[in-house]
Amino acid sequence: MKRSYLLTIAILFIFVLFGCASQDDSGGESNSGEQAGEPIEGGALNVAFSSDPDTLDWMSTGATATRDVGWHIFETLFTLDKDYQIKPMIAEDYKVSDDQKVYSITIREGVNFHDNSAVTAEDVVASIERWRKVSSVGTIANDYIEAVEAVDELTVEITLNEVYNSLMSDMAAPKSALMIIPKEISEAAGERPLTAEQYIGTGPFKFENWERGNEIVLTRFEDYSARKEEDWGGLTGEKIAYFDEIKFLIVKDPQVMINGLKTGIYDYAQSIPPDLYEVVESEPSIDPVTYINGYSVTTPDKTEAPFDDLKVRQALNYALNKEVIAESTYGNKDFYSMDGALFDPEQKVLYSDKGTEDYLAYDKEKAKQLLEESDYNGKPIKIMYSNDSETYKRISQIMKQQMEEVGFLVELVPYEWATYLEKWSDPANWDLVVVGWSTRFSPSELGMLIQDTSSSGWYNSEKWGSLLDAWSVAESPEEREEILADMNQTVNDELPFLKIANETKLDIKSEKIQAYDSWVGQRFWNTWKSE
Amino acid sequence: MLQYTIRRLFSIIPVMLIVSVIVFLIVHLTPGNPAYLILGEDSSPEAIAQLEKQLGLDKSMAVQFVDWIKNILMGDLGQSIYSSEPVIQVIMERVGPTFSLMITAMSLTLIIAIPTAVFIVWRRNTILDPLFTSASLLGASIPEFWFAMLLVLGLGVAVPIFPVAGYVAIDVGLGDWIYHLILPAFVLASVEIGLIARMLRDGMLESVNQDYTKTARAKGVRESVVLMKHVLSNALIPTTTVIGVMIAGLLGGTVIIETIFTIPGIGQLLIDSIHRRDYPVIQGVVLFIAVVYVFVNLLIDLLYAFLDPRIRYD
Repeated sequence: MKRSYLLTIAILFIFVLFGCASQDDSGGESNSGEQAGEPIEGGALNVAFSSDPDTLDWMSTGATATRDVGWHIFETLFTLDKDYQIKPMIAEDYKVSDDQKVYSITIREGVNFHDNSAVTAEDVVASIERWRKVSSVGTIANDYIEAVEAVDELTVEITLNEVYNSLMSDMAAPKSALMIIPKEISEAAGERPLTAEQYIGTGPFKFENWERGNEIVLTRFEDYSARKEEDWGGLTGEKIAYFDEIKFLIVKDPQVMINGLKTGIYDYAQSIPPDLYEVVESEPSIDPVTYINGYSVTTPDKTEAPFDDLKVRQALNYALNKEVIAESTYGNKDFYSMDGALFDPEQKVLYSDKGTEDYLAYDKEKAKQLLEESDYNGKPIKIMYSNDSETYKRISQIMKQQMEEVGFLVELVPYEWATYLEKWSDPANWDLVVVGWSTRFSPSELGMLIQDTSSSGWYNSEKWGSLLDAWSVAESPEEREEILADMNQTVNDELPFLKIANETKLDIKSEKIQAYDSWVGQRFWNTWKSE
Repeated sequence: MLQYTIRRLFSIIPVMLIVSVIVFLIVHLTPGNPAYLILGEDSSPEAIAQLEKQLGLDKSMAVQFVDWIKNILMGDLGQSIYSSEPVIQVIMERVGPTFSLMITAMSLTLIIAIPTAVFIVWRRNTILDPLFTSASLLGASIPEFWFAMLLVLGLGVAVPIFPVAGYVAIDVGLGDWIYHLILPAFVLASVEIGLIARMLRDGMLESVNQDYTKTARAKGVRESVVLMKHVLSNALIPTTTVIGVMIAGLLGGTVIIETIFTIPGIGQLLIDSIHRRDYPVIQGVVLFIAVVYVFVNLLIDLLYAFLDPRIRYD
């Protein structure tokens, strides 16, 4: 008995010791965290990453997880800066002929691939050829491209069959941008996604290892040829890799992410539900990182009654009090904003607030009146959503309530994500879907408006088609702004979908991560970890 | 004995066949389609159809089933839709963490349960006995996920002794390996410890006043030897059965525990594959778990003969 007594005391003693030691630790950490100081090279960055991508080849998929990791490995000729303006990355400069049909692009000298060969015009030509076949944006641009040729070692010429002014933004589009890879790899991969051995880019970090379901490891590329200018933000400008290694660790649970950051297992964690913002804010060792993340919408099925009738769609728009929906869904004002435009105010070259008058036109009486005038026969409306997301579940529930107030009959049909995606493809399964669309970078990328597909609820509009055509030949910023206003107006009038609210995404980082600059995804260059 | 083993091995075949039919049906009758998941929400119907064809999902279910069974008989579990790696390889990469977790949990269970049971029987007429009974009941009834979160908050965050998540392979470092496994293994073990210890205690109490123990005591054998040599070894036989069932329970439990502690094992693989509708992997994992289960039970049956000389299978 006596011995067990001693043992208990010994265990208690150890607990106290550990407790003290860890308290001393955390005290020291917060002190050093206050001083940003000189950049420190070295160390590993552990990122808690919420989804396991299928591939790192962003040209073959639109998945955000793919792109977020891929940006550190691959680079493009042109890309977007922090204001979403097109800037060169691997390219030095470009010239357009007077008839706007020939693009002559020069490449920076001495840009190294991770296999230490230098980027030549031949590599760029082969990469463009693959982009035209594989990338969702590239296949659109393909219709306008007549020929791609290497003029000399560092010059590429693209000849178009007709004027197409979206070419530059298509090549820079972050969703499926033109990634530059060695010629042999482009040819070997063809239309298939790149395999792990083929992840050879020009980025500040190179691919090291991928243990599926567990971790993706990148290491610093010592021979990286950085641009000499300052950091332009976004994906271009000067990039310096301070970390020896970045580990993207697959972690599904946000609570595990927060606990891991508190105890120093992770330095950065992606996709924290805004509900947990208060928890994050109260923790001095964790900093929140926020960035724009598209918006939530509800899309009616326009092939069948009742929403094939514009009057019923208008009634729906008047029935929904979007401010109430957003407030009760997102709660904290930092995580949503009310804006009816197709693009985010941060996207300066794409944003126009004109033509969005009816976005917040909440009017119950008008809704009732329109509904009475229409052919709506009281058949229950099926609102379909994925119950994987708390956000879209809440939006659907409040919508149901508001719609029933004006005379709609509503039925909620929740599915798990995989089932939801399949059900979406058949109009018989739903009348309204509630879903979120991530930030897009050109009008042709707006998934909820791609004509005659399930993603747009089988939208069919000559007006929208002609605006897209006008966009591709628009020359001046003024002209583009006018088209953007017209696009907003078309959506406002035809109601192919109803926008609910702009969303803001929450990531968290350790206070030790210094000078971190967020964009629409993670950027782990030009940032370092203090001791 | 050898004959019995061979007979039992053959009886595995129909079991596996039934398991594979059921798994195949459940997996394929569940709505959802990997092609939509891979291509995303703004994919065109043509692209979907093309990918379905490429994945062989456009064929009728009967054809797909026959293809699958044919391949299995030749030892080929197919290819993962998501990673294009052979299913066998995908499973083998994930076996390490799960088995590590199970072995650690088993060891913890036995290390704690056996001495506790012996101690309780030794002090059987004190207050310790009812205390133990209620404690073991509590251990068996606490929900694993709740207990796991409590332990993480207590011993991972408030008093950071153990890591809150993660796994380190044994070849990286034995110390690190065990350090990362202690919390999750303890959660898994918590349910089993009470179960096994009570089972042992009951078994031991039954034989503690039997004639042969009385004889042993009359011979002048010390109480500790009586308990360890005569009482415990007899009580171990029924307990062995429970341990067999426990292994199955642990396999199920790892699904939850691996998710909470972010351990890249079979359990997580199964859940991820279900979300991704990675049919070949789901089928492969379930078959694998069934095989493990059947073999463990066979092993336990054979172990009886070793533990109890009265049992002979010939």
